[in-house]
Amino acid sequence: MSFHCATSENMAALLRSARLLKCSPLGLLQISCTKRTGPPLRLLFSGPLGARGTGVCSRHISPASGNASSRVWPFTAGCVRNYSVATEQKDEPGIPVRSDQAQQFDWALAKLDSSVRRTGRITKAQLTRIFQEICKKGYSSGNQALLLLRSCGSLLPEVPLEERTKLAHRVWEKLQKLGAVYDASHYNALLKVYLQNEFKFTPTDFLAKMEEANVQPNRVTYQRLIAAYCQNGDIEGASTILGFMKTKDLPITEAVFNSLVTGHAKAGDIESAQNILTVMNGAGIQPGPDTYVALLNAYAEKGDQDNLKKTMDAAESAECSLMDRDLMPVIFTLAKAGHQEHIPHIVERLRHDRGYVPDAMNLCLSLITQGLEDTAFEILKTFPNLQSDGFNNETSLGNFFLRHCVDMETPLEKICSFCKELQESNMHAAPASFTLFVALENQNTAISLAMMKLLKELDLPIRPHYFWPLLIRHLKSKNPAGVVEVLKSMQDLKVKPDIETLSQYVCPAFANIEEARHSLKDAGISLDSEGFFNLKVRTLAANNLAELHTFLSDPSCPATELIVFRMSLVNNFKTFSDVESMVKITELLSKDKRFSKEGTKPSDTSAFFLYNVIDNMSEAEVHRNEYKLRQYLSQLKDKNITLTLNICRGIKNLLQSYQVPELMKDVFALVDHDGAGSEAVVGIGNEGRVYSLEKKLAKKKAETQPLETILKLTIQSLVAEEKLMRALKLKRQHEDEMTTPAYASLIGLCCRHNNVEEALNLKREMTRKDTSVKLDGTKYIALVQCLAKNDRMDEAVELLKEMKEKEVVLHDKHTTLLFHMLFSLATKGGAPAIQRLQESMFTLGLAKPNSNLLSPLVTAYIESEDLSGALEAVIGCQKRYNHMPPIHRIIVGLVEKGDTELLQKAMDFVSKERGEMAMLYDLFFAFLQTGRYREARKIIETPGLRARPARIQWFAEKCINTNQIEPLEQMLDMTQKLFECDRDEMYSYLLRQYEATNDWKKAEGLWTKMQEENVIPRERTLLMLAKILKMNGQEVPFDVPKTWYQEEAPPAPKPKVEDGASFRSPIIQSPIIALCKEDKAQEALKMFKEANDEGSATNALIYDHLIRSLLAEGSFKDAMEVKNIATASIPTFQMSPAANDLYIITNSMKGQVYDALERMRSLMQANQRPSRLAITRLVQALGNSGNVSGIQEVQQLIKDYSKAVNLSSMMFVNNTAVAHIKNGDVDSAMEALEAVYTNPDTQSLSMASVFKKTLEDNNDKALDKLSAMAERLANHFACYRPASDLFLQLLDADKVEDAKFMLARINALAEQKDVLVSYMSQKAQIPGQLGKIKTLLSLIPDFAEKDVVNTYLMKCHANDNEFSSAKALYEEWQKSGGKIDKLSLKRLAVMYRESGEVVPFEEPPETFKFYADKLRDRGATSQKKAET
Amino acid sequence: MAAPSKKVFEVFVSKIPWTLAGKEMKEYFAQFGPVKKCLLPFDKETGFHKGFCWVGFTTEEGLNNALQKDPHTLEGAKLQVQKNRRQFEGPKDAEYD
Repeated sequence: MSFHCATSENMAALLRSARLLKCSPLGLLQISCTKRTGPPLRLLFSGPLGARGTGVCSRHISPASGNASSRVWPFTAGCVRNYSVATEQKDEPGIPVRSDQAQQFDWALAKLDSSVRRTGRITKAQLTRIFQEICKKGYSSGNQALLLLRSCGSLLPEVPLEERTKLAHRVWEKLQKLGAVYDASHYNALLKVYLQNEFKFTPTDFLAKMEEANVQPNRVTYQRLIAAYCQNGDIEGASTILGFMKTKDLPITEAVFNSLVTGHAKAGDIESAQNILTVMNGAGIQPGPDTYVALLNAYAEKGDQDNLKKTMDAAESAECSLMDRDLMPVIFTLAKAGHQEHIPHIVERLRHDRGYVPDAMNLCLSLITQGLEDTAFEILKTFPNLQSDGFNNETSLGNFFLRHCVDMETPLEKICSFCKELQESNMHAAPASFTLFVALENQNTAISLAMMKLLKELDLPIRPHYFWPLLIRHLKSKNPAGVVEVLKSMQDLKVKPDIETLSQYVCPAFANIEEARHSLKDAGISLDSEGFFNLKVRTLAANNLAELHTFLSDPSCPATELIVFRMSLVNNFKTFSDVESMVKITELLSKDKRFSKEGTKPSDTSAFFLYNVIDNMSEAEVHRNEYKLRQYLSQLKDKNITLTLNICRGIKNLLQSYQVPELMKDVFALVDHDGAGSEAVVGIGNEGRVYSLEKKLAKKKAETQPLETILKLTIQSLVAEEKLMRALKLKRQHEDEMTTPAYASLIGLCCRHNNVEEALNLKREMTRKDTSVKLDGTKYIALVQCLAKNDRMDEAVELLKEMKEKEVVLHDKHTTLLFHMLFSLATKGGAPAIQRLQESMFTLGLAKPNSNLLSPLVTAYIESEDLSGALEAVIGCQKRYNHMPPIHRIIVGLVEKGDTELLQKAMDFVSKERGEMAMLYDLFFAFLQTGRYREARKIIETPGLRARPARIQWFAEKCINTNQIEPLEQMLDMTQKLFECDRDEMYSYLLRQYEATNDWKKAEGLWTKMQEENVIPRERTLLMLAKILKMNGQEVPFDVPKTWYQEEAPPAPKPKVEDGASFRSPIIQSPIIALCKEDKAQEALKMFKEANDEGSATNALIYDHLIRSLLAEGSFKDAMEVKNIATASIPTFQMSPAANDLYIITNSMKGQVYDALERMRSLMQANQRPSRLAITRLVQALGNSGNVSGIQEVQQLIKDYSKAVNLSSMMFVNNTAVAHIKNGDVDSAMEALEAVYTNPDTQSLSMASVFKKTLEDNNDKALDKLSAMAERLANHFACYRPASDLFLQLLDADKVEDAKFMLARINALAEQKDVLVSYMSQKAQIPGQLGKIKTLLSLIPDFAEKDVVNTYLMKCHANDNEFSSAKALYEEWQKSGGKIDKLSLKRLAVMYRESGEVVPFEEPPETFKFYADKLRDRGATSQKKAET
Repeated sequence: MAAPSKKVFEVFVSKIPWTLAGKEMKEYFAQFGPVKKCLLPFDKETGFHKGFCWVGFTTEEGLNNALQKDPHTLEGAKLQVQKNRRQFEGPKDAEYD
């Protein structure tokens, strides 16, 4: 009985509360929104008014929800009414507190509710967390208390009954202290919990308590008290209460009779129990399922199988169908009464209704909690094996079961036998290891060890780290004996503790390692394992370098990689306590192979170790030990220990960041003299790089030093400047010193210069030097292209084969390169060559065939006007590769030529391969393209044809890109009746076209046409139209939709009434100010002048408003005139800070930089601070006018507070660069920028604005230089930020081809994920920018995780109000199996609602901000996690 | 044009079952190419690892081999393997590969 009530009633209760209580905070929120411009909220809701407001709210709701749920729970209506009355009578706290409470309640409720909805239960952890959360807030409301109380019953199947009641009492007392006022609903809730928890109490005492608290019991109270008596078989008690009810004329419901059934049965009078059913019938009340369940429970307790069956049959014939959920309590009763043998009969009757699994899970959990795990296991076996889905092919039925067994500390042998049976019956793939996991989580040593034994029996591995959770417990409680015990068990299980275990989880429990060794030895734990050896090395490394040296130098010491003790050694080295031994050990590492990884040179090991030491020191440590560090380094030099240039450069960076550059020369002294000297590292000249490198090269040569590195650098610089001849000459001069990278650069250059012979020579030379080297994919492809261009096809194919043999790795970007290679051959009509290369590429598996890679072949045929050949090629491709190259151009050609025969063939082919619809579209587009509109119309009007948005979009984009207006206009007309055609979309294509050609008349015509066609335009379409009209100075004939975003720079700061003390005169808002606020500055000015002429009094506030409005609209002169008048009438008048900012901004935007700068000076002198925006605008204006010194002056002026206004240092650098560029001095700009990017601290700052400006100005010369700089920084300094900025700015300026080539040149751009993601996120803020993101994705498809990309795409769709795209994205997303975040779901749900459709999923209940924050948190924590 | 020399050939592995530790991960990924490092952080509070790790290969080839294989199944569990998304901050670590 009690079990049943648990699930159904309480869940209903929770759901009901959800409906009831959500209203209040929501209502408040709505009010606050609509009244944003009105008087402050506080005024509306202060005092008693407020209380009544909310009271009305809940009263208004209660009857409705009462009705809705009264079917489920007959007591609801009464409860709710009581509740709302109570709210009204209560002394309400102030509104802010209340709404906060309401919000918090919503949060708590949502948590519990979703748990109940999903699983039918709440975990104790969930409940206590919410409880603590509420306690922390320090106040509690009645509804919170009700919510928590209700959750303390059978919604907690995992918690023993007594504990649940204790929890309920704790909640009751605590929340009362925190100010919750209890009414009848609370007492009734507590009663319900008592019943569910079978808590013994005295009903009369309970009533007395209520009376004491002055709370009137109601019908529900009495019903539950009757139930309480009946639960104990106390019919007399029940009758007394019944009498009460009768005198009070309260109706007797089914629930009372059900209780009586139980009561009689418990009293041992089963006959009377049975008779209740007859009484009910007599009273006109139909026995319901609960009645039968009460009776069934009575028989179950007796183990009366016959009557069980009879009763079930009776229920059935009374058409009272018993659900699984009804029968489960009967099973529970049978188990509890020890009549397990009858359970199978009931189980047989279970129908596995919907929701069976969660209900049955709760039954299992309750059974386990009560120690009836055997029955629980029988129930578990009835579960459908639903976990074996495609995602995780492992079956894992019963995780919840095993977990709860461990939590309840079910006897070991039982857990073991469950595991075995689950495994044998294939219900769970790894029950023992799962159980072990739970036991370890609980740090339950006994169960853990038992499970490990089981694993051993099953021949599964037991690994040292399995013991760590157990060891940690003893470690924390500083219990060495416990640690020894665990190690003993480890030994029993024949698991050797490894070094990690010993050093991290064992030794720290002891005073020192010796003590650990002794304790373990005494306990009989053998110590000869590798772990102990390593531990010894580590300990020595950490504590005694001299001894370590002796130990390691001993030839009998086994080989031990440095990595084993590196960290300990580094930490010891950092102290510099024994420099002599440090030197010795470093020497040993640099000479003795035993400490290096196989295949690594010992000298590299020592060098890298040195880097590690310095890297691990803090700045303070380096300074403190500077002398000793120098000593150490100089002794290393004496021992001939060397560093490679690379390591040296790394150390240099470290030392620079520690501000001890003076140590650098000591480090450089160690540089391996086979490499380049220190100068190459230190001096990185910005100008004349090639020249200085050549000079250095000559110098080195004169000194007969090795030249490899410097030669490579020189050649790469020459290559960067495309100086082929000079580079080749240099190569010839130093053939012996050439390295692979130098060759690779040269080969690339030769290919670019179409010097195939030289390229091949170089390659041969390179291979001769070292046969194992291979070029990277990019170079290979360039070489293949070069050969093919020169008709040397055999060699080209051979080279492809070589790529395969040498296993050159190709990525997506290489596929793009392959496409370009093929395409470059197409223009020459090189179809056979292309075909041959394609064949080799695909058969070798260098690339997978796709329509893009196949298309150059078709292009080649079309270029040579061989349409039949082109068609054959398409058919051939489809046959061979099952991919079809684009066929549009062929069909267009055939239509133009009127070759009906071939056209028929093409159409048949497309029809067969792609279906008739695709064929019709192909034909439609071809007719449109060729101006055969009549034919096109016929095609598109084919009955049954429906819109294919993707194909239509493809054609529309093609028209827009190639500026074909007529086909697009025709398409708009023809598709008017097309089924499912998105008309607004069609109009917006054409609008985009008109926007590009700036044809406002046609755009306006479209608007009329839309009305004619009854199309309701989307917001973005109207915005686009308004933009075109505005741009041409036309009036917009409709109300422009307000957007929440700003298209341009933020507008002038809104006037604030609080500005300045002198303005606080108690005036009614003047009409002038009103006009100002409506942005009607000129009208305001007129009115002001009239008033002024009349001599009416004005005040400072009005002056200021007017000045600001005039400035904001750019009427500078008028503004100054007003200012003069103001100063004349109020001598102390001063412009407010906001007005001053506007003054600077307006002047800056108008290019009057001197006025703006002058104002800035005087403001700073007067100790006023202009806003960030004002400073930025001014500096930008200075940059645009080429005023370098002006920028310097501003920087100087605001030096002291630039941090406070959060100005980026890059703002000055970038604008200075822009200024230089404006002055035609690109070199100075580059010098400044390079200085930034060669400094490791500022390498990641953005210079996007410089590129943007240069692109906007079409300054190709400057752009070339800047672009060369960016590539140089990328290639030579691995600093990718400038190149990334340029790449993205190119994308942004729609120079996609340029961006593509840049990407091909600098592959690492694709790795700059942060920059790319931040670009995506910026673009997603602005409506209409989806295309940019798509382009980026098409170039670098995998720069962010699919889910992340999808989140942004969803945002774009939401911004653009693209409902259909959003839906499509959602579908695709679901299909991809990705995890759809709540924020995206929320966005989608809002779009559904706005378009009047039903949201087909559960809309996330919280606000956007909530999910956005959560998403951000998740990102942050996952990053944090990843960094630990 | 030489490819930038600072490339790090790392994969980020997640959904690692608790039964596996660094040793097993290293052994498993060695089949794709020489493994230079393997970092599997353990939670010092619980004694369990956090379910993800980084595996660094010596060569790009190893990286690509590992990325090409799908699914990665180890002791019945499906590991999620992807290119490491975490950028190496600054030139510090990047100097040596």
